[in-house]
Amino acid sequence: MIIGIDVGGTHADGVLLDNGVVKRKKKVAVEARPLEDTLIALLDTLLPDERSRLKKIQLSTTLCTNALLTGDLARVGMFIEAGPGMNPSFLQCGDYVHYLNGSIDHRGIEQKAPDLSQLNEIMEEWHAEGVDSVGIVTKFSHRNSRHEKIVGEKALDIFSHISLGHQLSGLPNFPRRVYTTWLNSSLKKVFSQFKKGIETGLKKHDISCPIFLLKADGGTMPFAAAGVSPCQTIHSGPSASVMGCLALHDNGADDIILLDIGGTTTDIALFSEGIPLLEPYGVTIGGRPTLIRALYTRSVPIGGDSTISRHADGYTIGPRKAGTAMGFGGSTPTPTDAMITLGYMEDGDATAARRGMQMLDDSCSAEETAEKILKVFCERIHDTVTTMVDTLFSRPVFTVADLLEREKLEPNKLMVIGGPALALKEMLGQTFSLPCTVPDDFEVANAIGAARARQTVQLSLYCDTELNRLSIPELSIEEAPGRNFGLDDARTRLIEAVEDIASKQAINAPYTIDIVEKFESSIVRGFNSTGKILSLKAQLRPGLVEE
Amino acid sequence: MKTYMPSADVSTGLVLFPAFDWCISPSHPEREERLLYTKDQLIEEGLEDVPGIHFFNPELATDLDVERVHFCVPSARKLLTNSHYISTGGTIRAARAVMEKEVERSFAVVRPPGHHAMQTVFGDRGFCIVNIESVMVEYIRRHYGIRKIAIVDTDCHHGDGTQDIFYNDPDTLFISIHQDGRTLYPGTGHVYENGGPSAIGATVNIPLPPGTSEKGFDMVMERVVMPVLEEFQPELIINSAGQDNHYTDPITNMNFTAQGYARLTRQLKPDICVLEGGYSIEGALPYTNLGIVLSLAGMDTSHVLEPGYDPEDFRQNHRINNSIETSCNEALEMYRKRHQFAEKFKGQENVVERKQIFYDTTGFQVNQTRVYHLCPRCAGYTQLLAEGLDQHLHGFSIPFNACPSCQQKARDGFAKTKKERGIRLVLQDRVRDLVDEK
Repeated sequence: MIIGIDVGGTHADGVLLDNGVVKRKKKVAVEARPLEDTLIALLDTLLPDERSRLKKIQLSTTLCTNALLTGDLARVGMFIEAGPGMNPSFLQCGDYVHYLNGSIDHRGIEQKAPDLSQLNEIMEEWHAEGVDSVGIVTKFSHRNSRHEKIVGEKALDIFSHISLGHQLSGLPNFPRRVYTTWLNSSLKKVFSQFKKGIETGLKKHDISCPIFLLKADGGTMPFAAAGVSPCQTIHSGPSASVMGCLALHDNGADDIILLDIGGTTTDIALFSEGIPLLEPYGVTIGGRPTLIRALYTRSVPIGGDSTISRHADGYTIGPRKAGTAMGFGGSTPTPTDAMITLGYMEDGDATAARRGMQMLDDSCSAEETAEKILKVFCERIHDTVTTMVDTLFSRPVFTVADLLEREKLEPNKLMVIGGPALALKEMLGQTFSLPCTVPDDFEVANAIGAARARQTVQLSLYCDTELNRLSIPELSIEEAPGRNFGLDDARTRLIEAVEDIASKQAINAPYTIDIVEKFESSIVRGFNSTGKILSLKAQLRPGLVEE
Repeated sequence: MKTYMPSADVSTGLVLFPAFDWCISPSHPEREERLLYTKDQLIEEGLEDVPGIHFFNPELATDLDVERVHFCVPSARKLLTNSHYISTGGTIRAARAVMEKEVERSFAVVRPPGHHAMQTVFGDRGFCIVNIESVMVEYIRRHYGIRKIAIVDTDCHHGDGTQDIFYNDPDTLFISIHQDGRTLYPGTGHVYENGGPSAIGATVNIPLPPGTSEKGFDMVMERVVMPVLEEFQPELIINSAGQDNHYTDPITNMNFTAQGYARLTRQLKPDICVLEGGYSIEGALPYTNLGIVLSLAGMDTSHVLEPGYDPEDFRQNHRINNSIETSCNEALEMYRKRHQFAEKFKGQENVVERKQIFYDTTGFQVNQTRVYHLCPRCAGYTQLLAEGLDQHLHGFSIPFNACPSCQQKARDGFAKTKKERGIRLVLQDRVRDLVDEK
């Protein structure tokens, strides 16, 4: 049995699953008290009678997202080494920033050691001013993490929390690495309090099964790992709904468009051959681009409760919330009123809803107006999906083979969840010219998604045999592989590292390891081949746990 | 809303295509690894997240795109690989981004390069088979009706291919700044090479002594390039942005820097840049390319410094200063006297030019005779005879700006010529945009 809990903006949903079947479900309001109290109370109502059958608990949490929204972030000190390149002065990481003057180049070769003589003084000063969490980032640290580590060691005795850029992601993109590290550092304290609270609560209830947290990439991670990189829990809401839909409607290898239509927003996700698509680098949080691996989703600011305004060319829906639909006692017309008018919704006062349509345009029938409005609604979503598919297709590729072989995603199914899902099913199907389904039980889709999401891990390996260096940044592994190390050896080494994590985190087989990127280039100096550069990425494939 | 990334003052498109899976041969300078570190640097900088910088994938050029410019022997299909169609298509994508106003400027960071490929192509010359910027120029003319275009070639090697292609076109200004041909491949690019009989002054060569540094390039830009551009008034400026003038380049002897390239780009303000050579793949290209991109985008380049860069290391001595000054004066003199030089061709019906073209990559020679048919109303049309590797070509080329009478003469000439075995007989008609072969 698994318990899955999804925390949203106003409510938290929980389910108890037994072999994929919902045994219990419960919804509670999220109150102002500490989130951990709400969660423990909710958990209490979901616990199975036979405690020993509970295998694990999986949570999505808005803790970090809320901390960001409310600005409840710790004071962070940042050590940044930019080296040659863009002027780093644009980086905004608060008031405690020290630029290191060293540099590491694109191959991971140290070009200049940073001057560390002032470091201790700066650290002590910051600490005295209340900084207890620091982030350390250098350019190209995914190639060579030495400078981050040296500074990190010096910080060890002074600060409680240290985040090193290379451990948070093996991907390139220095500004994103800086912002990811800054975010992570600023969340460590609030997260460790949350973790303590949950652990105390669990102890009280005598629960000893492992706890996992949902990440933004549609997967989970163990609670302990989340303590190291709490930033991974940001933006995990879409993961819960996306994985929930996958669970409710197993389409196998379809290319699916998933729509989650809410009160004022519609979230869109895409699946290719049944696997959710990811952002190339990571999610953007409050304007800050990051390397936090995340599902490729877009949000359109329209929903059942959006405002409707009429102008010469037709109607505009959203982006603001109009309030309750007139069919449910409100005073301004909404898309929900259009749905009621057309008989797509059983609930609601049809006379009031029709009056809303008449208010918008009294020169034609309420049905005609309602039709026009929902058409605009569906078209708007359709346009965003088209842009998403185009953007996906135009992601940069760098090899002849990739350029010639790339194919545009051609979705063959539409899945819709959320309040207005059933009402809009037919019209959306027509707009997209695709079969459209609304899964049963979708009101607990998110909690089911949280319960059944698999653990995910992504690791990168970079090897330069001329320099006799191999690194797996996320694990801080640096080795001397030998001059004859080849692509197959690299693949084996990387899979070994993934399997090692799997066994340490007690991930049950069967899991699938994908090599998601593979690159090899000869190093030629003076007309002689002097080595190879190998670069690979592997992941534990995101998916659903079968109990 | 608060912004967390710097933005481009001038929106800039980037076609970054390292073609990691293509090389001339594994240890040739034009190899898979060539743009690896450049790509790594540009991606690590986070350029993809800079508002106003847009990445575009290349498209594939068509045979017509290529044959609008080149006479390929035996054929484009037989000589070009997919990589050539892609690198050419990369320049076309970069051009389209600007012409369709998706961005204000663009830069095709693609390989293989092209500026040694001439009007006739029998194989690979100086790592080039297809002249990627020339194909782009004629694509722009064909699709967007632009007439006056300037190409400024800042590669360390003379852009002999581009010069050859536009030698008799008065609407294309070709300026090449390069290491003196007496000291470097391909050996041409002397000041006196100043254009064909209908286009005297539309080719400007500024050979520079080995060791030329930032100050020297500044002088050339200020004294020659900018004034000549000002006089020519191009509708579009293209930069063949080779980066082998860099002090670390292994196959040249210049002393230029990333800061220098950034400054040159800021001054030139090209609409489209196309990467050409540059073989210091670790020490130069990541920094010079970044410097050019940021300059195009109107962004801060003050931190784009090679590891260990010290401006004091790049002072030019007197001898070099004087030599550059002489070169500038001579080039300017040639340009100023262009009308005088043109006088001697007045009244002539045709001018014959004979050329031996050496293909260094596999080592063979092509003998070529080019006949410029002159016309008082336009630049005339061209007839070509070339042979090499036991293959023969007889070509007629109608430029985009030919008058109706010259167009007809060329078409008649092609129609009347009897097809002989073993000779490729081709009509390249840029006005009707077709390539005909018997």
